[in-house]
Amino acid sequence: MTSTSPQRSEKIQIKLFADPSALPPLESFIPVFHGWIRDKKLDELLIDVADYAHVHEGPGVVLIGHEADYSIDHADGRPGLLYVRKRGLAESSAEQRLIDAIQRAQRARALLEDDPALSGIRFSNDELLIRVPDRLHATNTDECFAEYQPTVEHALQSSSLNLNALQRVGDPREPLTVRATSR
Amino acid sequence: MSAANRKDASWKERLDGRMPEHLAREIDVFEGQIELKKQKKLDDKLFAETRLRRGAYGQRYDNGLRDDGTGQKPLAFPRGELTKGPDTVWDAPGMQRIKIPFGKLSAEQLEVLSDLAEEYSDAILHVTTRQDIQLHFIHIEDTPDMHRRLASVGITTREACGNSVRNVTACQFAGVCSTESFDVAPYAHATTEYFLGHPDVQDFGRKFKIAFSGCADEPCGLVTFHDLGAVALTQEIDGKIERGFRVVVGGGLGAVPVEAKVLREFCPAEELLPLSQAVARVFARLGEKNSRARARIKFLIQKLGIDEFKRLVDEERANLRPDERWNALLSDLSVTDEDPVRPAGDLPESSSPAFNAWAKTNLRPQSQAGYYVATVTLPLGDFTPKQGRALADLARTYTGDAMRLTVEQNIAFRWISGADAPAFFDKLAALGLAEPGASTITDVTACPGTDTCKLGIASSRGLAGELRKHLTVVQDQLDPAVRNLRIKASGCFNSCSQHHVADLGFLGVSRNVGGRKVPHFNVVLGGQWSENAKSYGTVVTAIPSKNVPKVVDAIAQKYAQEKHEDESFQQFFQRIGKSEIRKLLQPFSKPPSYEEDKSFYSDWGDPREYTIGDLGIGECAGEIVPFVEFGLQAAEQELHGAQDALDSGDSGAAAKAGLGAMVTAAKALVRYLDVQVRDDADDVVAQFRTHLHDTKLFHDPFAKGKFAQYLLITAANKTLDQADTEIARRTLDEAQLFLEAAHACYQRMEQQRASGGDSPSSPAGQPETP
Ligand code: HEM
Ligand code: SF4
Repeated sequence: MTSTSPQRSEKIQIKLFADPSALPPLESFIPVFHGWIRDKKLDELLIDVADYAHVHEGPGVVLIGHEADYSIDHADGRPGLLYVRKRGLAESSAEQRLIDAIQRAQRARALLEDDPALSGIRFSNDELLIRVPDRLHATNTDECFAEYQPTVEHALQSSSLNLNALQRVGDPREPLTVRATSR
Repeated sequence: MSAANRKDASWKERLDGRMPEHLAREIDVFEGQIELKKQKKLDDKLFAETRLRRGAYGQRYDNGLRDDGTGQKPLAFPRGELTKGPDTVWDAPGMQRIKIPFGKLSAEQLEVLSDLAEEYSDAILHVTTRQDIQLHFIHIEDTPDMHRRLASVGITTREACGNSVRNVTACQFAGVCSTESFDVAPYAHATTEYFLGHPDVQDFGRKFKIAFSGCADEPCGLVTFHDLGAVALTQEIDGKIERGFRVVVGGGLGAVPVEAKVLREFCPAEELLPLSQAVARVFARLGEKNSRARARIKFLIQKLGIDEFKRLVDEERANLRPDERWNALLSDLSVTDEDPVRPAGDLPESSSPAFNAWAKTNLRPQSQAGYYVATVTLPLGDFTPKQGRALADLARTYTGDAMRLTVEQNIAFRWISGADAPAFFDKLAALGLAEPGASTITDVTACPGTDTCKLGIASSRGLAGELRKHLTVVQDQLDPAVRNLRIKASGCFNSCSQHHVADLGFLGVSRNVGGRKVPHFNVVLGGQWSENAKSYGTVVTAIPSKNVPKVVDAIAQKYAQEKHEDESFQQFFQRIGKSEIRKLLQPFSKPPSYEEDKSFYSDWGDPREYTIGDLGIGECAGEIVPFVEFGLQAAEQELHGAQDALDSGDSGAAAKAGLGAMVTAAKALVRYLDVQVRDDADDVVAQFRTHLHDTKLFHDPFAKGKFAQYLLITAANKTLDQADTEIARRTLDEAQLFLEAAHACYQRMEQQRASGGDSPSSPAGQPETP
C-alpha cells in the first residue's frame, strides 16, 4: 500500500460555481483575461490566454500564469471559476497554501463579478470544490481524504465562506476532490 | 517500508522497477542534465538539443517577451537569467511532444496521458497531425517525472523532436482495412524500435520522418510527403507470395513541398530495415549540416539526383555490417495484433437520425466481417483528461487496447462489433464526442499556430474553430460533394497541418494595410489527399483572416453549382483555373479600413491588435550538436552516477559504471570516425582498439597510449562487479582521465578536419604491436 500525503502537494485547485443562468458566453472572457494581463490585475505573473471553448465540458477559456492558471471551467457540465495553483509556497504549511488558494480564487471571482463586460456573472457561496491534482501525494480515496480533512476544515474556518460539510467526490482515478457545502 | 511506499517517495522511487531499465536510466541522465543546466554548467545549444530529443519543445513567448496589445512587454519569470536554450527562459512554459508510434494507444496509456495533462499541463490533450500527443504549458523541471510516468506504460518521448527519426506513422486502418496488401503495423513497430537511439540516426542535420501505408490508393499513410515512405505490396516470386514495399524517399511539405521519389519499386520485407539504415547513413554523412533550410533529405536528393542517391544507398547497403536485429525485429509479425473483446455482430437498423448520421461518416467496416472502425472526432484534436479516462473505459468495454490516433487529429476505435455500435455511440454522446463528419468539411485540421507555436504568423486554430462552428451549422444544406471536402489550416508556411494536401488549405501570412498589419491566410486549393497524398495544392491568393469563412462559402457554392457529375474538387479546380477562382475571391481580398472595422486588425479568438512582433526562432530544426559531443556529455553523466554509487558504498556497481562511462566516450569517438559500431560494450572496445588505439589517434602527445590502456584493461576485467573500494576508486580515477583524453582527442581530430588535413580516419601511423 502506497502512503499518500496530500499536505505535501504544492498543487491545489479551487472551483467556485457560477450561476449558469447569468453566465455570459465563453468568448466574452477572452478579452477580460487579456485585460488582466495587460493591466497587471493580479500580483502574479500572467502569461497568456488559451481558448478551449470548442471542447465539451472542458476548461473553457484559460488565463495561463506562472504560479497559477484561472479557467472558466465547464467540467461535469457545471460552469465555474477554477483556480489552479501549480507551484510555489513550498515553505508554507498545507493549511496556509489552501487559505492562500481560496483567497486568490475569491479575488479573481470578485474581479469577474465587478466586470461590466461580464454583465451580472455570479458565483455561489454555498459550495466549493478543492482538488489536489498530484497523484504522487494524493489519491481520490477515503484514506487520503481522511488525512486531508483537518487541513481543509481549518482552512475553510479561516475563510469568509461558511462551508462546513465535506465530502469526497468522483472516480478514484481522478485527483483527490473534496466538495464543501454549508450544512 | 520500502522506499516506493514512503510518504515522501518521489516518482522515481515509486516507479522503480516498473520502467524498462534503459528508459529509466536515460531519464535519470536527462534529469542530471537539467540539474547541470540549472547550475549553468551546460552550454545552451547542447541543452536545447538534449531536451528537444526528449520531446521538450519551446513555446511562444519563451524568450520572455509578449505583446499585450499595446506593445511588447517583458514577462517577469522568477529566474529570468536562467535559460534552457538560446533565448529561451527557463521558467517559460514549453510543449511536450509524446511519440505514439503509428498512433497505437492502450487504455492504460491513455489514462496516464490524461493524468499528466491534468497535473502538469492546462488539462488539454492534443492529437497532432503525425499521430502524437502534445501537452502545452509544461515546466521543464516537470519533464523527468512526466517521462518516468510515461515510461511506466511503455512510452518514450525520446527523439520526438530534434534532428532525429521522428514518430513513425502508419494508417489507422492497418490490419483491418479491406484494400491493404497486408498489415504494415508490425513493420512500423520494427522500424520504430530499430531506429530509436540508433547510432546511425544521431548525426542528422535535420529531422527525418517515416510513414507506412498499407496500399497505394488510400490516403491514410501519406507516404509521398515523407522523408522515407513505404507502401505495402506483394509479389509472386517462384510461385510464392512475397511481402515487400515500394520505398520512396525525399518527400516533404514545408514552404516548398516535394513529392517523394521511388527508391525501390519492390523492396522485400526483410530488406526494409537494412535499406532504411543505408538511407539514414547516407543522409547523416552527406546531408547539409550548416544551413537548416536546406538540410532535409529532399535537398540532398535534389542535389545529387535520385540515380546517384540510389547508387550511394546501394553501396552503403553492400557495406553494412550485418545486424541480427534486422530479422529479429520482424520475427514475430503478430506483436501489434489486437484481439477483439466482443463477438462480431451486424450493424442493427436504427431509427435514430443522430446515430445514422454519425454511422455514415464515422463508422467504417473492417475487413473482418461484423467489425467496424469508429472514428471519434475531436474538435481541433483536443480532449480533456476526463474524456480521456472515459474513452479508456470504452476501449476496455468494447474494443480492447485498439485505439489509434489519426493524422486528422481524431481517435479511431477498431474492433467495434456492429451490434455494439449504437451503444458505443450513446456513450460517446454522453461525453460530447459523438459529432459526425469525420474526414469531412467540418473535421478541420489545424497546427498549433499562434496559440503556442513560436513561428505562428496567424491563428490557424482560431480560424479552424471558427470554420468548424460555421460549417457545422450549415452542413445539412451543403451539397454532398462539398461535405466531403477537407480543410486544413497552418499558421505559417511550414505546413504542419499538411494543408498542401487538403482540398481547401490555408496558411497564415501577414499583410500591411494602411500602415497596420492584418492577419491573412493564403488560400491553397486542389491538393490531393487520395493516392497517399498524390499532389499538392496551388496558392490562389491571400485573404484577410476574418474573411476566410466567406471565402469557404463562396468556393463551396461555386463547386456545388458548376461541377460536372462526379468531378472531384481537384479536377474542377484544374478545369476552371486559378484566375477564375481568384476573380471569385477578389471581393474578399481587401480588408475594410481600420476606422471602418477594427476587427480585421486582430486575429480569431484574440482581441489584441495584431502584430508579428511575437514571432520567435523555431526549434523545429533543433540545434546542430555533433553526436560526439552528446556522447562525451553522456559519459560524464555516467561518471557522476558511478561516483554516487561509490559514495553509497556499492563499489561493484561503481566500477562497472566507470567502465560504462569510458565505453560511452569511446563509442562517441568511434562513431565520429564513421565506423559502424553496435551498442554492446565488446564491440565498442574492439572498434576502439582498431580505429583509435592501433592507429594512435587516441594517443596523448606525452602519455602516448596510457589512457587508451585504461579502457582496454578495465574492459578485460571479468570480475569488475566484485571490485572492492580501492579498485573501484582507481577505476573512476582512470575513467576521469580517459574522458579528458577523449575530449582532447576529439579536439585534435576536429582541428585536423578544419585545417583540411587528412581525414582522421586514415591511420596516423603503423598500428602498435601489442
Ligand atoms: C522551421 C520550423 C518547422 C518546420 C519546417 C515544420 C514543418 C513541419 C511539417 C512539414 C509538418 C507536417 C508534415 C509532416 O507530417 O511531415 C510538421 C508537423 C508538425 N509540426 Fe512542425 N515545423 C516546424 C516547427 C514547428 C513548431 C515550432 C511547432 C510547434 C511548437 C510545430 C508543430 C508541429 C506539429 C504539432 C506537427 C505534427 C507533428 C508531429 O506530431 O510530429 N512545428 N512540421
Ligand atoms: S505551420 Fe507554422 S505556425 Fe503551424 S505549427 Fe508549424 S511552424 Fe508553427
